[in-house]
Amino acid sequence: MVEARGLSKRFGDFLAVDSVDFAVVAGETFGFLGPNGAGKSSTMRMIGAVSPRAGGELLVFGLDPAADGPAIRQRLGVVPQQDNLDLELTVFENLFVYGRYFGLPAKLVRERAQELLEFVQLAERRDHRVEPLSGGMKRRLTIARALVNAPELMLLDEPTTGLDPQARHAVWERLYRLKQQGVTLVLTTHYMDEAEQLCDRLVVMDRGRIVAEGSPRELIARYVEREVVELRFAAGGDGRAGTLDGVGKRVEVLADRVLIGTDDGDATVAAVHARGVEPDSVLVRRSTLEDVFLSITGRTLVD
Amino acid sequence: MTALAARAPAPAPGSLYRAAMVLAWNARTYRRTWRATVTISFLNPIFFLLSVGVLLGDLVDRRGADLGGLSYLEFVAPGLLAATAMQLGAGEGAFPVMAGLRWVRSYHAIAATPVRVPELLAGVLAWACLRLAVGTVVFAAVAAAFGAFTSPLAALAPAAAVLCGLAFAAPLAAVSASVDSSLALTGIFRFVLLPMFLLSGTFFPLERLPGWLEPVAWATPLWHGVALCRSLAAGDVDAAAALVHVGYLLALLALGAVLATRALERRLRQ
Repeated sequence: MVEARGLSKRFGDFLAVDSVDFAVVAGETFGFLGPNGAGKSSTMRMIGAVSPRAGGELLVFGLDPAADGPAIRQRLGVVPQQDNLDLELTVFENLFVYGRYFGLPAKLVRERAQELLEFVQLAERRDHRVEPLSGGMKRRLTIARALVNAPELMLLDEPTTGLDPQARHAVWERLYRLKQQGVTLVLTTHYMDEAEQLCDRLVVMDRGRIVAEGSPRELIARYVEREVVELRFAAGGDGRAGTLDGVGKRVEVLADRVLIGTDDGDATVAAVHARGVEPDSVLVRRSTLEDVFLSITGRTLVD
Repeated sequence: MTALAARAPAPAPGSLYRAAMVLAWNARTYRRTWRATVTISFLNPIFFLLSVGVLLGDLVDRRGADLGGLSYLEFVAPGLLAATAMQLGAGEGAFPVMAGLRWVRSYHAIAATPVRVPELLAGVLAWACLRLAVGTVVFAAVAAAFGAFTSPLAALAPAAAVLCGLAFAAPLAAVSASVDSSLALTGIFRFVLLPMFLLSGTFFPLERLPGWLEPVAWATPLWHGVALCRSLAAGDVDAAAALVHVGYLLALLALGAVLATRALERRLRQ
């Protein structure tokens, strides 16, 4: 579906995307995971045929976005990072107007809009204006709008950023159902739980480059230990981390806590106590993509 | 979800179709907001016509002003027609573009569809054209009812006014797409359009201006619109002059459209 080789994007002197390679195959959910400013959105805009590339090769549906932008956009569904619904129009009209830009007959768009409103659970808001809707409802409507042309590939740029936990789960659930129906999804996120929940495969981006690639499980197996022991200290207690050297396979000292990567959490906790280190709280948990990112770049995903 | 499962090959619509869909979207949005614009687009121009054209005009005529054989109402009505078109056209060029790019970001949504930037702009200007047509025809009908027109050629005056309005709509769309805040627009409305409205021959013959200001007024697009409308309304058309007026306004429209396309491409395709 998408193939990129040496793909780059430049804004003035700033290299936003620095020669990245990736491929997305039909039916999979592919993620770009990384902190803000990693180049995820720029990459998405190039795939979406709205932003010209500075270098490299890019094929979407086997077409070159530089030459066949409209033909590519005809087959894409795009959920942008920032909502851009028509606030003056009703929920239904937003879908109808948008569907017409794809050259679909009015009757077909009407039928689809009705089905999609049911799919995103907004059918009873059909004739309400968009402006007073909640953030979660607007997001779901934006997803419905992106589906109105029955796209082969859906691009979602941070689909749940800014939503409350309940609204996030509602969005994830809809995306999961699309995935089950065989829609190819490409999404960006800086939430590791989102990437873990949805992505079959993902690339980790940092400062315009791809620093790791694989399924969430593969990445965890490759870059981090099975478990993480999280120690929290009272203010000023971080200095004690020095005495933790060698207690686990990997020790990361963050501003508010110390993370110890290990294959056996309970044994590590016992070892910590044996050294006379007494943190305020101790938590043993499974390793996540967040730990992968930290292990590769030495920085956290969300600052 | 049968609609999602059934992927009929989508038809490839043409440019004209897509521009028409943008026009249809503008019309649909207008259905929600028209109330707010009725005063400025219909009532204000008619109040002007009544107060300046009819009531003040009566005083002017009693002083025996030399207006090339026209009564003051006959003189000022076509001027107001062009000035009304200027105001409407400038507004239609400026604010929808500001909203589409910044306030609501709807142009960004459209940019993700097969619609190309020139098609988007064509749709926006087509909508401006439609609003101008309705506004100028209504104004001209009221003016005709007041007895402001002496020639059947006056029937063409709204078309001239629409052209005048578009010659403002396109450049203002270009400015709106280029600037970073609406402050620049406020400045243009206050310090460019308002003086033009007052000094470009709408209310008095240009010869009344101080000598140095007269050529400046000649260069303004509004004067060309006013002169064209006035010659049609009075049935006193000089072919060469009319050609210059139409050419000037068309050139401004074309220049504005080219610059607006470029600025929109920069915003939407960066």
